[in-house]
Amino acid sequence: MKKSHALGLAAVAASAALISACSAPATSGSPAASSGGDGPFTIGVSNAFVASEYRTQMIDAIEQTFDEYKAEGVVDKLVMENADADVNGQIQQIRNLINQGVDAIIVDPNSATALSAVFDEAISQGITVIAIDQAVDSPDVLNVGISQQDLGAASAEWFASAVGDGASIVTVEGAAGNPATDARWAGAEPVFAEHNIEVLTHGDGGWDQATGQTVATDLLATYPNVDGIWTYDGMAQGVLRAVEAADKTDSVTVGGEARVGFLRMWTDLVDSGSDFASVGVINPPGTGATALHFAINLLQGKELDQSKVTDGHSIILPLDTPVTNDNLADTWAGVSDQADTYVLDSILSADEVAQYFQ
Amino acid sequence: MTTPPQTTVGAIRDGSWQRYLTFSLSTWVTIGLLIVVTALNVALQPTFFTTYSLTSNFATFAPLVFAAVAQAVVVIGGGLDLSIGSIVALASVVALTVMDGEPSRVAIGVLAAIVTGVIAGAINGFIVGVIRLQPLIATFATNSVFAGAALVVLPKPGGMVPSTMTTGYRSLVIGIPVSVLIVVLAIVLYWLLSRTRLMRHIRAVGGDRSAAFASLVPVVRVQMASYIVAGAFAGLAALAILANTGSGDPFVGSSMALDSIAAVVLGGIALAGGRGSGIGAVAGAIILAMVSTVLSFMGVPTTWRQLASGVIIVAAIALSVVMSRKDQR
Repeated sequence: MKKSHALGLAAVAASAALISACSAPATSGSPAASSGGDGPFTIGVSNAFVASEYRTQMIDAIEQTFDEYKAEGVVDKLVMENADADVNGQIQQIRNLINQGVDAIIVDPNSATALSAVFDEAISQGITVIAIDQAVDSPDVLNVGISQQDLGAASAEWFASAVGDGASIVTVEGAAGNPATDARWAGAEPVFAEHNIEVLTHGDGGWDQATGQTVATDLLATYPNVDGIWTYDGMAQGVLRAVEAADKTDSVTVGGEARVGFLRMWTDLVDSGSDFASVGVINPPGTGATALHFAINLLQGKELDQSKVTDGHSIILPLDTPVTNDNLADTWAGVSDQADTYVLDSILSADEVAQYFQ
Repeated sequence: MTTPPQTTVGAIRDGSWQRYLTFSLSTWVTIGLLIVVTALNVALQPTFFTTYSLTSNFATFAPLVFAAVAQAVVVIGGGLDLSIGSIVALASVVALTVMDGEPSRVAIGVLAAIVTGVIAGAINGFIVGVIRLQPLIATFATNSVFAGAALVVLPKPGGMVPSTMTTGYRSLVIGIPVSVLIVVLAIVLYWLLSRTRLMRHIRAVGGDRSAAFASLVPVVRVQMASYIVAGAFAGLAALAILANTGSGDPFVGSSMALDSIAAVVLGGIALAGGRGSGIGAVAGAIILAMVSTVLSFMGVPTTWRQLASGVIIVAAIALSVVMSRKDQR
């Protein structure tokens, strides 16, 4: 079954351009249809949540990489569907892209399952679909991104060694029921169990600094003797503020995030002679741009190296080296002029992405 | 009847604000808008009449079309329903849970969605008709209740809609897309409803409550019935959403209450009640959905699109006020 999915994907990839040329009525408005598999290609992007710096950075990176390809004549048009919408609205976004004759769609999906039917509509018209940031279930859609579970595990590994075996901790996580939150905990749980670390309670930080700060303040009041608060990007700066306000930066370990605001507080603490230590595992918004490289390769008819594909339709990007006290100074020097909301980023180069293809 | 001087807050509290909104678009304006927006869409999208485009466009319209008809029935009856969106969400997650992905349970799922809508509508109708709370405030409150109930039924997005529903929704019957037929069904259902005594009573109550009461119209029962009928249509909207998405989501439909009200106004229904037709609301919903497609094809940046579609709706409503003032002269 899985193998046939993989074959299906390869077939889609190889025939994408061919089919888009054949289905002339659907793509007659697009120059790509007339010039076949050689491009220039039209790329569509669907993002249905805009009120987030992470997503803004993601879209900016896609636009930048697109401009590079455009200068080479590989692509001609970028169609953006970038506005807050529920799943029904995102379905309309994707249909708008299909009706505008795009050759590939890069989507940051609102749901792992609710877009399956509209993805099938796109794929049946020969459009290459790539999901970023959140993996989808559709076997014919290529998922490109880091593993949120690996991110949780990497952060928990550092955290466990910092608090020590047998410690008591609390957590401030994203939001119960949210896929990334669940996946990160799935990665962290076995690590904590292995080190006999007792998790006293789980807090919901709502992926939001202010909420994270409130929740952490309450947790510190309820559990004054905790050894650490495990948290991650979205809430870590808020949690650190709460720990600072309680004057406990030396006794409570705080999981960190790879964002400039947090790195600034972290650097200030270290500079002031504190023993404060933390970790920031990078969840790069640039994945969108990396996905564009994948899209171009697929549109040009290249085939994925199946040994690098997980589950038949997922590319798991390796995690970058996390920020720790060892490399904090160097990392900080590189991003200190960015806004507090900037997320440390990485985009695979076209050459690096080419390694994933035969 | 002697009424004390009105304050804005007082008008909202006792609901009399709605009586000032007597304007409505003439049918010709609605038809004109529909023609203009369709012509623009066809001009901008050469593929408009391909099977895929028709199927997918109407598949996108259908949920809002049913929600707009639901809102139309309530508004014609002199009420307002801000909870339409969360009734749709609740009915969709209940139906999804009942069907559990089994094609054999589609019929039960359809029934479950409609019954859920009817129950939610009955709750609204009871609060507005019997307890006599103002519709704006009552349905604003029940909106949270139904949205919360949807979260209890399905705490996070997921689940599978039977594949027969999702594929059926995208298929053709004698060359006509099923999604087109579903929109036609909404029109036929409203047309049948409009020929019943109930709908005549709803219209009478919406037009002049006291006069209707004096003419022995069972005002309270009729008002309740208008919300119940709206609930049933919201249940149908929920089924269209399920068929469209293929999965459940307790947060779906959050923009539907305001969109349905906009559709009702664009469709020539007076918010003061008593005037207009659900078929106009269908046209209003299609206009609204097409505006978004047209803006997309015009290459209006998405950051501007919400603003642009808001301005277009306000302009259409302003046009209707101007037209109705001319009529009165």
